[in-house]
Amino acid sequence: MKQLSEILKEVAFGSLSSGEAEMVIGWQKGPFWWQSFPAFITDPGGTGSLIWDPFSVSNLSKYLLKEVPEKKIALFLKGCDALGFNQMLRDGRVDREKVLLFGIPCDGLVDPARVEAAGLSKGLLQVKKEQEELIFYYKKGQRKAPARDFYYAKCLSCRYPNPVIYDQMLGEAVPCQPVERFADVSKLETTPLEERFSYWSRHFSRCIRCFACRNVCPACSCRECIFDLAEPRWLGKANELSETQFYHITRAYHVAGRCVDCGECARICPVGIPLAELNRKFIKDINELYGEYDAGADLDKEAPLLTFKTDDPDVSSGS
Amino acid sequence: MPVNLKLQSFEPLIIAFCCNWCSYAGGDLAGTSRMTYPANVRVIRVPCSSRVSSNFILRAFQRGADGVVVAGCHPGDCHYTSGNYFARRRFLLLQRFLEFLGMEPERFQVHWISASEGNRFAAVMTETTDKIRALGPNRKLRDTR
Repeated sequence: MKQLSEILKEVAFGSLSSGEAEMVIGWQKGPFWWQSFPAFITDPGGTGSLIWDPFSVSNLSKYLLKEVPEKKIALFLKGCDALGFNQMLRDGRVDREKVLLFGIPCDGLVDPARVEAAGLSKGLLQVKKEQEELIFYYKKGQRKAPARDFYYAKCLSCRYPNPVIYDQMLGEAVPCQPVERFADVSKLETTPLEERFSYWSRHFSRCIRCFACRNVCPACSCRECIFDLAEPRWLGKANELSETQFYHITRAYHVAGRCVDCGECARICPVGIPLAELNRKFIKDINELYGEYDAGADLDKEAPLLTFKTDDPDVSSGS
Repeated sequence: MPVNLKLQSFEPLIIAFCCNWCSYAGGDLAGTSRMTYPANVRVIRVPCSSRVSSNFILRAFQRGADGVVVAGCHPGDCHYTSGNYFARRRFLLLQRFLEFLGMEPERFQVHWISASEGNRFAAVMTETTDKIRALGPNRKLRDTR
């Protein structure tokens, strides 16, 4: 991975100094071992601070919406980010000609919570990945552990570790060994109704409505969002469970058929609501009812909610 | 009415979104033909079943509806050719999603009722009202203020 980090700096330097791009969006180390923040670099001299490490989890393509569209921007995409980028492309929110994409094959990223749970976080200075192993550096000495034990759950079920869209691929394709991703949804589906309701109410009642799940989502890219509208004010501002339920139902429903299952919503949630399960319920149902569909994977395939078949399963409840 | 009496005789509130071209006319036919159906149903006329947004349904539950019915033309008969086909996909997903969140599936229903089916309109509304009356008042998704 160290090698890839060097390549990343080189291509960033190259594209800025040749004028191919006016800005590079990459990752930069924060003050703590678990922080890899998005970095916006316009000066070729600044590319030395760019990194690629096991914590480079944020999807950089969403930042394209905030930058001036006239600029030519270079950015790095992991497999999941590439799906998100494709979905934004499909939604007409980015201009393919204005971006330079560097693809990064990624077999998984490290969840700081798992490092902490394993009791390895105390006095930890840095984490590096070598082959299949993580090396934890402390003031005195270091420890090694298999990397896959520390990956985000979303990475363990990842089916697109290699970017599906790029101008230049950095590094070699990695193998893909996803675990079943609908296990949690299927389990919830079989629990009794009331239990399910209290399960979700418990989670939703923790929501602080920071809208991070919306802001981070590559499918949530409307210029004017229903949750921001003052007139009509669909989402009230009161701290009231029904408003929170309204928010979460609507958020998940609005990205149905466009959610690329990158799991960023659940990852970013500060109160740990399993938001990805809501999206996965829709993905599972769409797959079952209207045929397998992976949003962002194939731009030529028709989106399930923008089309229909005359012999679709019926919604009418008898009589 | 004393509080305890009100509790004893629970009457559900049902919001029915009816498409202008079929179901609303079906309801009209039920009325002009002097068929009876429960007064618990409040009809809201919409241009097409696909006009009904999830916002409408959720807001109805928030503001005290015990059940929501969306009624449109039979698939294939849409005034706008294909509106109800899109609605069929959307509402099936929404129905399954609400059930996933713990909502009783009977509380949100979709029915296809044509303009000539006044008797069907009355039958559907009667049956829905009975089902929801049996379920009792809806507390889920409801605004507590």
